[in-house]
Amino acid sequence: MSATPIRAGSEYDPSSWPEARENPGFAGDTGEFPGLDEDGVRGLSYVGERPADGGHASVAGTLPYQVATRDPEAPLFVGPYEERLEKVLGRYPDRQAALLPALHLAHELRGYLSPQTMDEVAEKLQLPPAYVRGVASFYTMYNLAPVGKYLIQVCTNISCNLCGGDAVLESFLKHTGTEPGEMSANGLWTVMEVECLGACGFPTAVQINERYFENVRPEDVPAILERLT
Amino acid sequence: MAYPYRHDSEVRLLSEHFGNPRARTLEGWVELGGYRALRKALGMDRAEVVNVVKASGLRGRGGAGFPTGMKWSFMPKKEPGKPHFLVCNADESEPGTFKDRELMRWTPHALIEGCLIGAYAINAEHAYIYVRGEFFEAAQIMARAIEEAYAAGYIGKNILGSGIDLDITLHIGAGAYICGEETGLLNSLEGRRGEPRVKPPYPAIAGAFRYPTAVNNVESLIAAAQIVENGAEWYRQWGTEKSTGTKLFCVSGHVKRPGNYEVPLGFNFREFIYDVCGGTPGGKAIKAVIPGGSSVPILTADELDIGMDYESMAAAGTMLGCGSVIVMDEGTNVVKQVRRMVDFYAHESCGQCTPCREGTAWSAKILKRIELGRGTPDDLDTLLDISDKMTGKTICVLSDAAAAPIVSSIEKFRGDYLALMEAGDLALAGAR
Amino acid sequence: MADETTAAVENVSVTIDGMELSVPAGTRLLDACAQAGVDVPHYCYHPGLSAPAQCRMCLVEVEKSPKLVPACVGTVAKDMVVHTESEAALKAREGVLEFYLVNHPLDCPVCDQSGECKLQDYVAAEGPAMGRSKEPKRVLGRDDFGGDVLFYADRCVMCTRCVRFMREVAQDERLTVVQRGHRAVIDTFFDEGLTGNLWADNIVDICPVGALVSKDFLHKARAWDLDRTPSICPNCTQGCNVRLETRDNQVMRIKPRPNPEVNAHWMCDFGRLNYQWINRVDRIEAPLVRDGSGRHVPMSWSEALMRLADALRGQTGGAAAVVSPFAANEDVGALRRVMEAVGGGGGVFRCEQGEEVTLPGFPELALRTDRAANVAGAELFGFSRAGGADGKGGLEGVAGHAGVLFVLGDELADAAADFGANASLFVYVGQHLSPAARNAHFVLPSTTFAEMEGTFTNVQRRVQRFWPALRAPGMSRPAWQILGVLLAGIGDAGAPGTAADAFAGLAAVRPEFGMLAWGDLGAQGAALPEAVGQAGD
Repeated sequence: MSATPIRAGSEYDPSSWPEARENPGFAGDTGEFPGLDEDGVRGLSYVGERPADGGHASVAGTLPYQVATRDPEAPLFVGPYEERLEKVLGRYPDRQAALLPALHLAHELRGYLSPQTMDEVAEKLQLPPAYVRGVASFYTMYNLAPVGKYLIQVCTNISCNLCGGDAVLESFLKHTGTEPGEMSANGLWTVMEVECLGACGFPTAVQINERYFENVRPEDVPAILERLT
Repeated sequence: MAYPYRHDSEVRLLSEHFGNPRARTLEGWVELGGYRALRKALGMDRAEVVNVVKASGLRGRGGAGFPTGMKWSFMPKKEPGKPHFLVCNADESEPGTFKDRELMRWTPHALIEGCLIGAYAINAEHAYIYVRGEFFEAAQIMARAIEEAYAAGYIGKNILGSGIDLDITLHIGAGAYICGEETGLLNSLEGRRGEPRVKPPYPAIAGAFRYPTAVNNVESLIAAAQIVENGAEWYRQWGTEKSTGTKLFCVSGHVKRPGNYEVPLGFNFREFIYDVCGGTPGGKAIKAVIPGGSSVPILTADELDIGMDYESMAAAGTMLGCGSVIVMDEGTNVVKQVRRMVDFYAHESCGQCTPCREGTAWSAKILKRIELGRGTPDDLDTLLDISDKMTGKTICVLSDAAAAPIVSSIEKFRGDYLALMEAGDLALAGAR
Repeated sequence: MADETTAAVENVSVTIDGMELSVPAGTRLLDACAQAGVDVPHYCYHPGLSAPAQCRMCLVEVEKSPKLVPACVGTVAKDMVVHTESEAALKAREGVLEFYLVNHPLDCPVCDQSGECKLQDYVAAEGPAMGRSKEPKRVLGRDDFGGDVLFYADRCVMCTRCVRFMREVAQDERLTVVQRGHRAVIDTFFDEGLTGNLWADNIVDICPVGALVSKDFLHKARAWDLDRTPSICPNCTQGCNVRLETRDNQVMRIKPRPNPEVNAHWMCDFGRLNYQWINRVDRIEAPLVRDGSGRHVPMSWSEALMRLADALRGQTGGAAAVVSPFAANEDVGALRRVMEAVGGGGGVFRCEQGEEVTLPGFPELALRTDRAANVAGAELFGFSRAGGADGKGGLEGVAGHAGVLFVLGDELADAAADFGANASLFVYVGQHLSPAARNAHFVLPSTTFAEMEGTFTNVQRRVQRFWPALRAPGMSRPAWQILGVLLAGIGDAGAPGTAADAFAGLAAVRPEFGMLAWGDLGAQGAALPEAVGQAGD
């Protein structure tokens, strides 16, 4: 681990730095990390396929909450999904602590949390349904109504906003022909504003279902939509 | 080498392996010297681990800057039947902050190691890593790494043959900025609404599941592991007397080279922005800089000749926060950006405390009206008075955070507000 | 907070708004302030619930503390100096009040809470003269929570007392805060509502504003037009301490009064909503005496009681009686003494019964099986239970009684037409002229508990006073007064002038009442001691 001393008051020439290379879709090669590709940045092959039963108990509660394939009628907590919940339950001193993971699981299967779904989760965890509703509605990532197959969340918070987040949002709305929060007629798209996604160095950050798209410019939008369909 | 750019002025302790996919695998990590710190810690007395971190002067990197070793030393003596918990706060949500995400996705094993050392130090058998729900990608990398570490015996029963059992559980949030507040996070971990708790009792006495708990930021834990490996004096060679070591700074907004950079605390702020980050695109003049995330007072371009450390920032009337530097160039509509930040706080307020629940929403409405050219100068007095009534009056500091940009922007950019008022309906035309 | 202290807590000296006082260390600041005579405004704190310290209304200035301290969770320490009226404290409260008004509809003219609203009170006392908000208000509207509860979301101050009551006390978590921040609103689980929970109306009581209101009371009366009289809920043997709230000589609603021994701050919906019978207007308004032709002739009290005393003097064949379990201790005690004077005899009471429902968070309180207030009193004075759980039947033993027959308060709605026909003397003391009273020689109008002073003995053997809340109709009198005068007429006892006299007279029948002084009962009653030598009773 090498240490470089502070260069106080040294000369610098900003124009000598190369311009940032745009990389819509992922935050990767800026020219300073040769050979770094999307997989290298995102660690996709490192992570590999995650099993439906959640894998090791320590991480069983971490599977996606918003995927493109979903069925509002899908049974909850059966087969590998039940196994997953059991693993999660084993990691906490009480059942209530499994509420967020259980809601994630229901969300992953059904795409949103209907009153019926909340009721089923409540019953499974032996919690009052009203309590489950209170918790579910506190967190913005739980959809309480159906959304499009692709939920497109565009960050318009300060860092992205300074770099044109509003225009990216506009572009998504224009190209999907929807209003914010409204599902497109073909059921494919729901576009909405989202608060800071924690990718401020890669504006505009857009989350589509569970995945981030970074450095998105308004003109990148058609290609992104095409890539999804 | 921080990511996605690097600079020779950096001191790369935490970020040395950013951009190197090999570092994220267990095999690669061990090759690079990983888990040596853990071996060393397990050979030390628990108190010794706490003491070396204390002696290093490491301060919490989540925003508050509370000394990490001190926090650990507040943990009570272990009583039978009363477990201790370590909770890693990876709910990185402060606008402008994206360092923990990079730490987790490039060096997941560094965090695992930090958690294990922290848990050992405070005599906990179980550590929870609370990752914000949006960080699906980082969480999956963490998950894979945890599975690897379990399989290799770094986590679980009798780790590294030490006779010590340590578990780690990855817990995923669901979209709530307030869960970055440590007691809000604990409530969320327990399956509740993420509402901050009244303190006292502090987490060290009644934390997760009402048991003694230490809550530490991702960067703090990774730094602590390096300190345990290399010693307190090693760490103190960087930074200032009271702000020791290095820190990851997240730079966003109008800079040529946005991203994370790791520099020693005390680094000159102006040099950082103009040299390390390459200044503004197109060389435009800087109008304003937020030095520590959206919750801290704004600085003007004239106020940048300060050190990037806790004390210097405080002396300049702002805060180092979590090191999130947001740069705004001369073309920026400051009022719009302040309004956007306050909208954020209104959206993220948990709603418990009246001044925050009502004050954030009311301020946001006033700011929106001003942005649209319908404001009057007395709105500024109202905003300042509301801000005063939101500051220091609530359970947590979210409402203080919402007030900070309002107050500092009215103080420093009053002209921008007045110009919008004068422009009236034409204000929209000039909006950016 | 400091609940693990087992050693004797030492007293510490604190100064509150310039007044020095000594209180146990660890006392809640709010309570210490109250002891100093300072009412610190607050919304979310309620003594029967946990303290979330979230309304931020009770912030007070504590010297040497960097921030204002919420008095609801802050505790006193040695030599603490507290200012509740300092500039900082006043400004903070003014701020909170203005924040509340940003979205409040200011619909006091049509709000049931008006006049007893903490928002109205505190804004009037120390709120800003004018709100500064120019922004459109949030409008949410009204929601029916089921049961007796209506929710006006726009008036809500989000104190969450209701949520905490349902969670901590009713332990039936039907309410929650939905959403967060300024979008947060109280709600139930979609359509589930509060229906079926027996304790739901308590959330109306503890709502500091007009957000939760009673459908039963909706737009019925203004708070400032109500008279409030301390009383005891008559509707089961629990004896919840209540206030009868009346207007135009009618009970408009019943509200609980705190009593830590009996009902804490709470009461059940069955008790509070079951008051229509108190307002019945079909009352006997004058003493009626049957003449030779079988007609009941109205008469003055002195004439009627004189004739009754004369009639009783010849009677030695023993007495029988039916008493109401709603009758006061003084009433049944006086009847017992009259019966003793004519040779003694047995008597029964009939009481409607239902399922017992306990309040989980305060299990001392339950809607009791017996749905009348003074079953214990009736039993203490020698009356035994008869009839079924519907409060009917069981009259076989007394209906054909040949001696003196007394009926006290029982309406006898189910009695046969020949009830009391065999009695040598049938005296009916009651409120309603039922068919069964047709055979009575004397029909004497008595008051309900709401129109008189007296006591009930509850299920815990606690003797509790009630006070007259309504004017008695016509010539009706408390039964203890009627029977007391009668007793004076036929024996050597003095007639009771007051309820205290009547109470003192109870010791003649049950000595343990002699161990309880009227003055000791106060507003919250006292436990009836076990009589010496009657332990097996």
